[in-house]
Amino acid sequence: MVKQRKKKHSLSAMSRKNLITYLILFAGAFVSLIPFIWMISTSLMSLGEALGTAFFPSQLHFENYAEAWRRAQFSEYFINSILITLITLSGELTFSIFAAYAFARIEFPGRDLIFSIMLSTIMIPAMVLIIPNFLTVTWLGRIGPIPWINNWPALTIPFMGSIFSIFLLKQFFAQVPDELFDAAQIDGAGHLRFLFQVVLPLSKAPLMVILVLSFIGTWNSLAWPMLVTNTPDWRPISVGLMNFVDEAGQLVNLTMAGAFITIIPILIIYFFTQKQFTDSIARSGLKG
Amino acid sequence: MENKNFLQRTFTGRRGRRLKEYLTAYLFIAPATILIFIFGIFPVFFALYVSLHRWRIVRGDMIGLTNYVNAVGNLAYVVAFFLGIGALVGVYIVVKKIIKMKQEHHDQPWVTMLPAFLYAVMVFSFLNWFYRALPEVLDIAFKLRGLERHEIVFIDFLLDALRAETVLPAWRIFMLVLLASLVVGGLVLRLWRNRNNFKYQAYFSLGFLALGAGIGLLAFTLGEVNAAYSAALAEGTDPGIWPQVISISSGVILLAGGWLIWKQAEKQYSNGLFWLHLLGALVLLVGGWLLIGEIPTIIAAGDNKIWDGLKVTVFFSLGTVPFQLIISLFLSILLFQKLIGSNVFRIIYFIPYVTPSIASATVFQQMFSNRQTAPVNMFLRSLGLPPQQWLFEPRGIIRIIGDMVGFSVPQWAAGPSLALVVIMLHSIWTFVGYNTVIYLAGLGNIPKELNDAAEVDGASGWQVFRHVTFPLLSPTTYFLSLIGVIGTFKAFNTIWIFRSNLALGTTDTLSLVIFLEFFEKLRYGYASAMAFVLFGIILTLTLINNRVQGSRVFYG
Repeated sequence: MVKQRKKKHSLSAMSRKNLITYLILFAGAFVSLIPFIWMISTSLMSLGEALGTAFFPSQLHFENYAEAWRRAQFSEYFINSILITLITLSGELTFSIFAAYAFARIEFPGRDLIFSIMLSTIMIPAMVLIIPNFLTVTWLGRIGPIPWINNWPALTIPFMGSIFSIFLLKQFFAQVPDELFDAAQIDGAGHLRFLFQVVLPLSKAPLMVILVLSFIGTWNSLAWPMLVTNTPDWRPISVGLMNFVDEAGQLVNLTMAGAFITIIPILIIYFFTQKQFTDSIARSGLKG
Repeated sequence: MENKNFLQRTFTGRRGRRLKEYLTAYLFIAPATILIFIFGIFPVFFALYVSLHRWRIVRGDMIGLTNYVNAVGNLAYVVAFFLGIGALVGVYIVVKKIIKMKQEHHDQPWVTMLPAFLYAVMVFSFLNWFYRALPEVLDIAFKLRGLERHEIVFIDFLLDALRAETVLPAWRIFMLVLLASLVVGGLVLRLWRNRNNFKYQAYFSLGFLALGAGIGLLAFTLGEVNAAYSAALAEGTDPGIWPQVISISSGVILLAGGWLIWKQAEKQYSNGLFWLHLLGALVLLVGGWLLIGEIPTIIAAGDNKIWDGLKVTVFFSLGTVPFQLIISLFLSILLFQKLIGSNVFRIIYFIPYVTPSIASATVFQQMFSNRQTAPVNMFLRSLGLPPQQWLFEPRGIIRIIGDMVGFSVPQWAAGPSLALVVIMLHSIWTFVGYNTVIYLAGLGNIPKELNDAAEVDGASGWQVFRHVTFPLLSPTTYFLSLIGVIGTFKAFNTIWIFRSNLALGTTDTLSLVIFLEFFEKLRYGYASAMAFVLFGIILTLTLINNRVQGSRVFYG
């Protein structure tokens, strides 16, 4: 491709154009990354430096991380968030896989009606749902065998039914060729075996997207956990970080260390899955 | 054959296999469907129920539209009235459709009206039961207080609640109508052998449902208006609802009529064209003037917080979505040239989107701190500009810039507050990467031949972009703008983190206003009514957007 272009343009004009392109791209990357650079740099400063004008620390204060971890009780919140994410994800993935398979590959009365009613719930603003759901969850905790408020059910169960995940998976499941199913049926495989042995191995990319997006969503949720937790027992890291910033707002170096601690797990997951992730986002986004 | 038990008999044969298939499907979708119903669909009705009550933590009296009137003034009556009229218009549309179908197939479908009527009555009797049972069932939670957690106790209380004297008759009526409608529906399906029998039943039930809803809503609104009038009379004031309803309605009717005349004038190519255009424009003007003149007085009694929140939301949308789109379109075109390392740039641009927004907002909060030595203030100083208060600054940005150059900007032109501008910058920073990735995919879908053909025809780079690339990207742009606007209406987390009392509420979007009303003032009923106002605004915007933009999108 580069060779083709060289024929059209002279070499110097081409490289000048490329240079400008690279400059703009680097500027974009710089703006994208500068908050992270500043965060990491500040998190390693002493308090005096962090409040001053320095951009880089003169001495690396790694102990800030230990201090932030201890003061913000991150060990507790971290475990909470990981547990909440694991419970939500396992429920959401299981339920969504089954529902998406039925919607994509089985004909049954009312299929399109049920699906479109469920899809229309995307339109409903969260603020309409949050009040009645809070009342419902309180009620369920009072009548049921275990309390819901300040406990895992309120934080996980409402998010296990996700029409977004069902929609995304349905799109991919529907693309599996019918011939594969016919062949599987001749071999005596039912829906369950076909789903687990043929469809799921083909759908690693959308599963990965749901995994990462749900992880981010759970890790990042604020309004709902603020409502349904009033003790630290099950409080997730998002609320923990917010409270820590409220308490230690002046200690910029510590809050930046806290912010970076919160980001690390997501960044690790993103870098491991980024190829499939961006590809699937692009594909699912276009289908809208 | 005969030895097989009932289950085996049901699931053998062709019909049996199909039945098994259905059962499998329903089992597969059951968990997700039930959860989405409990936490996604039922809450809408529950919220409607809450919004009609005085409800602070615990349920108080039913107060009708009062919460809505407190929120948006007399507009609440007008909207309820229009919704009722809208339902009746829906009846007209359904009837027209049935008549068209009847004429096409030469049917006499009138017998299907009977089951259809019963279906509609069934739905209403179910809603009636639901409305009566809900408070009784909710109260179980209070009755159980202090008792052992035990299943049996709950079921006893549940049965008690459902047997309450207000609930049981409603349940009996519902069961009776359900039975009758099933019997009659089945009979009609058997007796009148017609391919479209079920379709007619469905359409007629839709019509009856709309009729019932329309009449019910109109009667309810009328009752509410009368109550408001008698209350006002007792105080010796005039609520002036009817004149407002009349002027708003005539404004809407004139607007619609003017639009129709204008459209008509565009179709005809005669000499009357000019006069018809003029007439259309005139009617449009009068209608618009009536509406614009009346709306401020009608919402005067409403809550200012809603309009302030709406203003902030609109600023937030207009200040983020267009910039996001332009920057990401530009970046994606640069990346699309597939230079060495463009993949690395794509990964970097996407990082802000995956970063937990609470953490990145915390970082922005410190970068835009009001300290003299904070990075952004340092940057301003290096440019020779004075440091700013950023997130603590309620003054509008245009006004601040005006003050800098010595020009006083009036309040109405002050623009979004500087605090909101910081939030906008954070939002743009977050979403540019996501938009870039989607634009890249859109660019990849454009056939290369089209660009090449244009280049062969001698089009310059800009011309190719303007006349080939950009129109072919319009579905992507449409999708991204829709997602962006919905996102700004939904935004909560970052604004909650950025929020400061010193900004005097200039960063509170409508979502924030609702949440504060619920979370801090504990006014559940009022907050629910506000949430429905937000819902109405989003629905209206989506409808308008689909009408206006949907027709212009070019699906290549």
